[in-house]
Amino acid sequence: MPAADAANAIEVHGLRKTFGDFVAVNSIDFNVGHGEIFGFLGPNGSGKTTTIRMLCGVIAPTDGGARVMGYDVCAESERVRENIGYMSQKFSLFQDLTVDENLKFYAGVYGLSDEKFAERREYILTMADLHGRETEMTGDLSVGWKQRLALGCATIHEPRLIFLDEPTSGVDPMARRQFWELLHDLAASGVTLFVTTHYMDEATHCNRLAFIYRGDIIAEGTPNEVKGALMRDTILQVEVDDGEGALAALEGSPGIGEAYMQGALLHVNIGERTAAEADLPGLLGPLGFDVRSVEPVEPTLEDAFVHLVTSQKGAST
Amino acid sequence: MIRMSWRRVRLLIWKEFLQLKRDRSMLPIIFIMPVLQLIMFGYVIGTDVRDIRTAVVDRDGSVESRLVIDGFTNSGFFKQVAAPATEAEMQTLIDGNKAQVAIIIPEGFSDDVHAKRATQIGIVVDGSDSKTASVASGYAGQVVASLGRQLYPSRLSASAGGVDARVRVLFNPTLRSVNTMVPALLAFILMMSTQMTMSQAIVKERERGTLEQLFVTPIGRAEYLIGKLVPYVIIATIQITLVFTVGTIWFKVPFNGTLLVMGSGLALFALTSLGIGLMVSLLSRTRYQAQQAMTFLMVPSMMLSGFVFPLESMPAVLYPLSYLIPLRYIVVVVRSNFMKGSGFSALWPQFAAMAIFAVVVFGFGLSRFRKQLND
Repeated sequence: MPAADAANAIEVHGLRKTFGDFVAVNSIDFNVGHGEIFGFLGPNGSGKTTTIRMLCGVIAPTDGGARVMGYDVCAESERVRENIGYMSQKFSLFQDLTVDENLKFYAGVYGLSDEKFAERREYILTMADLHGRETEMTGDLSVGWKQRLALGCATIHEPRLIFLDEPTSGVDPMARRQFWELLHDLAASGVTLFVTTHYMDEATHCNRLAFIYRGDIIAEGTPNEVKGALMRDTILQVEVDDGEGALAALEGSPGIGEAYMQGALLHVNIGERTAAEADLPGLLGPLGFDVRSVEPVEPTLEDAFVHLVTSQKGAST
Repeated sequence: MIRMSWRRVRLLIWKEFLQLKRDRSMLPIIFIMPVLQLIMFGYVIGTDVRDIRTAVVDRDGSVESRLVIDGFTNSGFFKQVAAPATEAEMQTLIDGNKAQVAIIIPEGFSDDVHAKRATQIGIVVDGSDSKTASVASGYAGQVVASLGRQLYPSRLSASAGGVDARVRVLFNPTLRSVNTMVPALLAFILMMSTQMTMSQAIVKERERGTLEQLFVTPIGRAEYLIGKLVPYVIIATIQITLVFTVGTIWFKVPFNGTLLVMGSGLALFALTSLGIGLMVSLLSRTRYQAQQAMTFLMVPSMMLSGFVFPLESMPAVLYPLSYLIPLRYIVVVVRSNFMKGSGFSALWPQFAAMAIFAVVVFGFGLSRFRKQLND
């Protein structure tokens, strides 16, 4: 069995996908080690889902290739699909089937024996807290339950690698926390997780990250390494009466790297200068803005990604 | 290359039936629609018919017999398509739907006219298409009456000519329109049901995201497709059986055909319908779009297939279009088989046409299915 011998859970080399003239994924390379929680991040339309679909053997790459759990995604796509779990943002359960019927369906699809199914069913019902709801219609469950049931169905065959495509979008913060606890439990048992998300606080749960933008991976590493791209830059958090207006005024001002809203506050990258050198109150005050506070903050992942995307845009124009 | 797991196919079929059972809008459509249509279409009134395909058996071969033939063809209602020598040959033409009406002029017809004796001509009408048949027999009566006045000018009475037309209606002596509608409805309901349900089937799963999920499991494309097709074929079979039973028992439509011929015709036609439904489902982004597309496709099928309106009443410009309507061929097959018992030997051109449609349409649907999922 080559799967057990594979050095990495996922090995991607030169993976490329084009649709006509459009390059969705531009010859990317990366590896994901066994037992890692790997975060695959990027804005919508940047190539995240296309990459996942290629790694799951659903669509064929235009060029390059990948090995998933030791199997070639092109030549052995069926083996790949037997050895992975996949859960997407849409909770693709059958809404008009009951909880039990969904479990039975996926158990059958993965060829579980009756004894194994009984054992896994019990485990999933406990994990998803669905005891007593076995005969309820899946469509009537709350979002959090649906999400945990979807995870249960995707892992009913105990895969060693799970792809999670924006698993928490549209879920309330409480349910998101519970969900991540489940993911950490899985990771602790040695399961590899490949997660896409655009919640930056979730990205910090990952051991390693790759950031994809317009088909290219523009940053890769641990969350701290990614933030390290901003090591020498200073980020200022600014409280101002008219954030939107101040943002417009700052854009294009000399020495200002990036400026963007972070909630009600303004984040401004002033490059390798100090807050005193940049003198934002002196810049904004004369323009009629009431600057209430300015303080340097530790760069967040979000700051890092805004910086990466901005510099990427600058490079391409 | 394709490894099929029947266990997975069975699971997919089980799942599809569970979903159908819970779809409140589908169940009434599946079982009430066929019976409703049977009642509605069972009593459609005939329309104007021209250029009825006519075979002429001229045993007399005289000036007078020519006059009779011209009388028919000049009326515009009849168009001579063949001149068989014997009645047996004529029968074959009618069985194969080549002729709908035959005129038989007996030997000695001209002698009778010259001797001013009363005489007879035979008119045979194919009753399996009741609208054409009833119109044809009506016209034939008129033509014969005016011929009588022409050939026996000395007779004063306009109504009592010397020519007596013996109209014999084959296969459907009572000319009940329901007798021709029920067989055609078998085909029509098969088409509606398979196209409607198939066109919704895949687009529904895509809308909900379950399609995406299924293809990251070991389920293969072929397994998925069979799992989708089989339930709808089973349902269509039940519907057809329902229409057949209600038609023959309640509407008392006589069945003179063979289940083998009718069944294989319907099966071949089902492939085409499923293929069309599949294509619509793959090309549509939403279920609503698929529904609109189906309605759009349904209209020409109703109008140009001879199912509701006889092909003969169609304007000449539109007539060639009818060859592109698969329903046209199956309607002939079920009607002829149902009422006349016509077999493969008489119906092979229709079977050939349907086979071509099935291969092209279903084949295109399959290739589209592969392509769609690879991108």
